[in-house]
Amino acid sequence: MVNVLFNKKYLFSLLGFKLDDKKLESYIAKMGFEMESASATEIGIELPANRPDIVDIVGFARALRNFLHKGKKTKYEIKNSKPLLQIDVSKEVSQLRPFIAALAVEEMKFSEESLKHLLNFTEKFTSNYGRQRKKLAIGLHDLDKIIPPLEYGAIKDQEFAALGTSKKMKFSEILKKHEKGISYAHTISHPSLYPVVKDSDGVISLVPIINSARTKVTAATRNLLIEITGISKYDVERSADLFAAMFIDLGATIKKVKINYSGSSVILPKMESQKIEIPLLKIEGQIGVIIGFNNVISLANKMGYLAALVGRNIRFWIPTYRLDVLNEQDIIEDIAIAYGYDYIQPVPLFSEQIGELGESTKNSMKVSEIMVGMGFSEMMNSFLTSDDINFKKMRQEVDKEGSIRVKAAKVQQLTMLRTSLLPSLLRNLGMSVHEKMPQKIFELDYAFGLDKQVNERRCVAALFADPKANFNQAKAIVEGMLQSMGIEYKIRETLHNSFIEGRSANIILDGKVAGVFGEIHPEVLSNFGIEEPTVAFEISL
Amino acid sequence: MLSPLEFRIISQLQKAKGGISAEQLASELQISKDTLYSTAENLSVLGYVELKKSSSKEAQITDEGKSYANAGLPETQLLRKISRKSMKVQELSDPVSRIGLQWGKSNGLLTIDGGMLNITAKGKEALSGGIAEEKVLTELGSSPQISGQFESKHKRELENLLKRKLITIKERSSLEISLTATGSEAASKGHLPSSQINSLNRSIIASKGWKGKEFEKYNVNLEVAKEIPAKAHPLRRMINQIKGSYVSMGFKEISGPIVIPAFWNFDTLFTPQDHPARETQDTFYLSNPQLLEITNKGVVAKVKAAHEEAWHSEWVENIAKQGVLRTQMTSVSIQELYNIAKYKEYKLPLKLFSTGRVFRNENIDYKHLTDFYQSDGIIIGENLTMANLFDTLTKIYGAIGIKIKFKPAYFPFVEPGAEVYGYHEQRKEWLEIAGCGILRREITGIARKSVTVLAWGSSVERLLLIKDPEIERLSDLYNNGVGWLRSKRLV
Repeated sequence: MVNVLFNKKYLFSLLGFKLDDKKLESYIAKMGFEMESASATEIGIELPANRPDIVDIVGFARALRNFLHKGKKTKYEIKNSKPLLQIDVSKEVSQLRPFIAALAVEEMKFSEESLKHLLNFTEKFTSNYGRQRKKLAIGLHDLDKIIPPLEYGAIKDQEFAALGTSKKMKFSEILKKHEKGISYAHTISHPSLYPVVKDSDGVISLVPIINSARTKVTAATRNLLIEITGISKYDVERSADLFAAMFIDLGATIKKVKINYSGSSVILPKMESQKIEIPLLKIEGQIGVIIGFNNVISLANKMGYLAALVGRNIRFWIPTYRLDVLNEQDIIEDIAIAYGYDYIQPVPLFSEQIGELGESTKNSMKVSEIMVGMGFSEMMNSFLTSDDINFKKMRQEVDKEGSIRVKAAKVQQLTMLRTSLLPSLLRNLGMSVHEKMPQKIFELDYAFGLDKQVNERRCVAALFADPKANFNQAKAIVEGMLQSMGIEYKIRETLHNSFIEGRSANIILDGKVAGVFGEIHPEVLSNFGIEEPTVAFEISL
Repeated sequence: MLSPLEFRIISQLQKAKGGISAEQLASELQISKDTLYSTAENLSVLGYVELKKSSSKEAQITDEGKSYANAGLPETQLLRKISRKSMKVQELSDPVSRIGLQWGKSNGLLTIDGGMLNITAKGKEALSGGIAEEKVLTELGSSPQISGQFESKHKRELENLLKRKLITIKERSSLEISLTATGSEAASKGHLPSSQINSLNRSIIASKGWKGKEFEKYNVNLEVAKEIPAKAHPLRRMINQIKGSYVSMGFKEISGPIVIPAFWNFDTLFTPQDHPARETQDTFYLSNPQLLEITNKGVVAKVKAAHEEAWHSEWVENIAKQGVLRTQMTSVSIQELYNIAKYKEYKLPLKLFSTGRVFRNENIDYKHLTDFYQSDGIIIGENLTMANLFDTLTKIYGAIGIKIKFKPAYFPFVEPGAEVYGYHEQRKEWLEIAGCGILRREITGIARKSVTVLAWGSSVERLLLIKDPEIERLSDLYNNGVGWLRSKRLV
C-alpha cells in the first residue's frame, strides 16, 4: 500500500472541475480505493503498490476523469519519431547498472505546485516501485543546460557539484556525507567505479544518488531531460512510457531519445499499446454476472482502456502508462471493479463433498476434552522464545545446534522456536502467582527441534501448582489421560535437570521416549518466580 | 430464620465469650475465610454480630539493614573511622566505606578537601548524638510493629530507610468478630430446634431417619465463593468455531509445515524476489538452518519461468530456499494445490481449508503480535466465479454470526482480488478480516491448466475481536493471565 496526499486545488485544476469531499470519497471508493482523510486543502488516499500511474496526481486525475466519463480523448503517442538526443551506453556500466531509458520534454509550464508534486512523485516512485532505487532511479534535468553528446558510463571517484551542496565533493565523500548519498550508498556495488550520466561538460548525474547542481530543474525550467536507470531493461523502458503520459497530460511535448548500447540501440519512449482479446463469456464467466458487450466496453473505458468488439471477443488496448497489467485476469479485475463488487450477486456453488476435520484436529480435540475434564485451563503461547527462558531458566544446557533460530527479530529477546512447552507454561504460572491456588493449566501446540531435518512436534503439557502437589499426582494425571486416549505406555525413571532427582520419569510409547513428568526442581520454580510446589508433564502426540 | 452456618458462627462466638479473630474462628469452624467473611457480613447486617476491621503495619529489616543494626549505618562507621585517624578518599577501599562516603556527603556530614576527608559540624553532632535513622532501625529491630503514633513521629526516617532498602513494610489487615446483645439472645434461645436435620448423611438416608423431620433451611441469598471452571482458551474456541463452519459447508481440513522454504511462502504465490514483503522487516528468516530443501522439485522450473516472464529479472533458487516461519496459511493451500494428484477420487469442485499459526517480525504491542492464527480456504474447480466466492464467504462468516462486505484490493497472487470486511455490532464499524480472490493463472497453470482456484485467508484473532466485545486488545489473548481466563465469559 502507498499513502498519498493530494492538493485539492491542483487536483481540481487537473480535472477541469471541482468535487465536494463526499462525492470525492464515493467516487474513489467506486474506483476501488480508499480516501482516508480530507482537510480543506488536501485529501489522503491509500493506493495499491502496483499502480504507480495513479500514485502520481496527474495520473490519478486522468483515472478519475476516465471513471466519470469526462476524459479528454487523449492519444498517448509521440508524433515526431525522430530522436532529439542520443545517449551512448559504455561497456563498463553493464556490470553495475546496465540499463537506461530517457525522454525529452519540451514546452513544459510548471507552477510551484506542479513542480512540488512531480518531485514528490519521483521520490515515491523510486522508493516504492523502484525498490529504494535499487531497481529504478530517475534523474530530472534542465535540458537547456545540457551540452551533448550524452553518455551513460562508469568512472572512477572524482569531484562533482551535486544538488543541495555549496561546494564540490568527491563521489566517495557524497556517499558518506550527503543526505541522499547516505540513504542510497547501499546501491553502489563496485568499490571504485561509479555509474554516471555525463555530457560534454561533465557529470550530470551520479546514478542512482544525486544530480548535478548545474542541470537543476526549477519552476522556470521549460525543457527537460528525464533519465531512468535500472537493472531491468523492461522496467526502465516502461517507466519512460509512464512519465511520457504524465507530461502529455500536463500539456508538454515529448521528444524521443535514442539509446545506443554496444551492438544494439533503441528509441524511447516506445509508447506501444499492447492489445489483448478476451471472449465476453470469459469475462462474464470469471465475474459471475451477465454484463453484455456494450457495457463491458463502457466499463473498460471508465478504467482507461480503449475497447472494441471483434467477433465474439472484445479487444482491449492496455494504456501505455499501466505497468501492472500482465494478462487478461488483470483486465477482468478492472471490469469487475468498474461494475462494482457490491453489485455482484452471490451465486451458490453446487458440490457433493462432505466436510471433514483433519486427523490432528480430531486427536487434539480428544486430548483437550480430557485435560479440561481434569480441571486444566488452556493457555496459548508464542512459539518464539529465548535461550534464557527455553534453556537457562530450565537448568538446561543451551543447544544452539539443535534448535531452530531466527534472524534479526524486532523483539530482540526472541531468537528461537521453543523446544518444549513447559517453559511457556512456567512463565504463565510465574505471572499468575497472585491468583488463587491450586492452579491447573495446560497447552496443546507445537514445539520444534532440528536433527538433520526440522521437526515440528505437536505436544501437550500441563502444570499443577498446589501446596501439596507431588510426584504421585503427576503420575495420576498422566496415566488418567493416556488411558482415556487408549494409548499403551510404559513409565521409566529418568534424570532430567528441570525436575527433582528421583521424582521424575519418562513416558515410553512404542519403546521410545515420548514424554516426561514429575516434580519441577525448586531452582526452576524460583527462576520463574513461582513459590508453590508444582508438578508437570509433557508428551509428544 | 438463621442458616445452619450462621447459627454455628453465633454458637461458636458465644463459647468464645468476647471478640475473636476471623482467622481463628474460620479454623475452629473448619470453613474457608471467604465463606466466613461473607456470612459474617450478612450477620452484621442482621445486627447479630459486630465486625471490627483494623490494619497494622509491621516492619521487616532487610539483610543489609540487619548488618547495620549493630555496627551502625555506613556513614556513622565512616565518621568514626575518620575521627580516629585522618584519611584520604583513595584509602576508602571497602564497599561499606564507599556507601558511607556517598551518604555522608549527601547528608552534609563530611566534605572532601584536596582529597582529605573532613567531618563537618553536623557530622560531629551525629558522632556524639547519633543519626535519627539509626535509632529507628534499632527500635524496629526489637519491636517490628509500627503504631500510628510511631509512624507520624518518624515519618521522614521511615521513608529514608525504605528508600535505602534497609527495611520493608508489610500491611496486615485483621477482622475481629464479636456477638452483639441481639446475637447473644438468639444464640441462647437456640433458633435451631433439634428436630431439624442439619446436613444429610448416609446413615440418615439408609435409616430413613429423615422421616417426620424438617430440614434446616439455607439462606439462598447468601454469597458463596464461586467454583472456577476449567476452560479451553477463547482463541481455541474461535478456531474450533471457524473449523466447524468450514466442515458444515463441506470443506476438508488440510495442514502443513510451519517452518518452510520461502518458495512456498512467496515464490509460488507469485511474490517477486525483490518484493518488500519478503524483507526481514516483516518476515522471520532462519539463521539455523539457513536453507531448506524444496521437496516438490517438479514445480521449481515452472515457477522460475513464470517469475522471469512476469517480472523481467532473474529468479534465484537460493533465495527461494531461505528458511522462513510461514507468514500466511496460503502457503499450505498452495502446497496442496501442487499436490492435487492425491485428490483424484474427489469430484471437482474440491474444497479445502486450513487453520494454523503464522508469524510476522513485529514489535509486540496491543495490536501487533509476532504469532497469530490464520484460516485459509481454497476451492479448486472449473468455471468458478467471483459470485461463487462471495457466496461461499458470506455463508462461512455468516455461520459464525459475522456480516461481511467486499472491497477491491491488490494482492500479488489473486486477480481479481478483494478485501473482506466484517461488521462489529458494538463499535458500529467495519473491520478488515480477510483477503480473497481468484488465484492468478500463472500460479494455477502450474497445477492444472483448466482449473480456476478461489482462495482466501482471514485472521482468526480479528474474527474474535468482532465476536467477543470483552476482548479489546489482541495482546490479552497471548498474555494468558490465569485470572483473566478464569473470569472470561464464553461466547
